[in-house]
Amino acid sequence: MNVEMGFKLSHFQSMLLFAVLISIAFGFLSRRRPMDRVKYIVWSLFLFLLIGVGIGWAMYPFSR
Amino acid sequence: MADETAAPAAPPQESRRETTAFVIGVAGWLVPGLGHALLKMWGRAAAFFLTVGMLVILGAGMRGNLFRSSGNDAFDSLGYLADLGTGTFYLVARSLETNGADVSHAGGDYGTRFLATAGVLNLLVALHAYEAARGRKA
Repeated sequence: MNVEMGFKLSHFQSMLLFAVLISIAFGFLSRRRPMDRVKYIVWSLFLFLLIGVGIGWAMYPFSR
Repeated sequence: MADETAAPAAPPQESRRETTAFVIGVAGWLVPGLGHALLKMWGRAAAFFLTVGMLVILGAGMRGNLFRSSGNDAFDSLGYLADLGTGTFYLVARSLETNGADVSHAGGDYGTRFLATAGVLNLLVALHAYEAARGRKA
C-alpha cells in the first residue's frame, strides 16, 4: 500500500478497518476499566459488522 | 435591591477551572489526544491519537475528498466543517493527498467518509476532554 498511489482496499476491508478504529475509539471514550473496554470494543465491532453485512444483503435484491 | 437579586459571581477558582478546561478542549481539537494527555489520561490520549491519525492516513490514502472552504453547496460546507474537526491533521491529510481526490472509485468514496468521521470523532474526543477537565466526566 502506497499513500502516493492510493490504498486499494475492498469494500469489506474498508468496512472492517472503519469498524475496528471506531470501536476502539468508542471503547476508550465510554469505558474506564480495561476489561470493560475490551468487552465494549468486541461487542461494538461485532454489531458494526453484523449490521453492515446485514444491510448489504438487504440491498442485494435491488442491486440490478 | 438590584444587588440582592443579581446572581452571585463565580468564585475565581471556578472561573480558572473553566478557562483551563477550555484550553484543554482546544488543545484536544488541535492535536487529537493532546487534551487527554494534558489530563494525564495516557491510554486514552494514545488511543485517540492513533485512531484519528489512522482514519486520516487511510482516508487520504484512499484519495477521499478533503473539502475546502470554497465549497459550492451546503454539503461541501458541512464536509469542510467535519474535516476541520481533525485540527492540525487536516493539514497532514492535505499534504498526503498530493494527487488530489478521486471519488470515481468506491475507495475514494470510503476515503471521504473516513476523513469526515475522523473529524467528527476528534470533536467528540475534544468535548470529552473538556468535560473531564471540568470534573464532569471521568
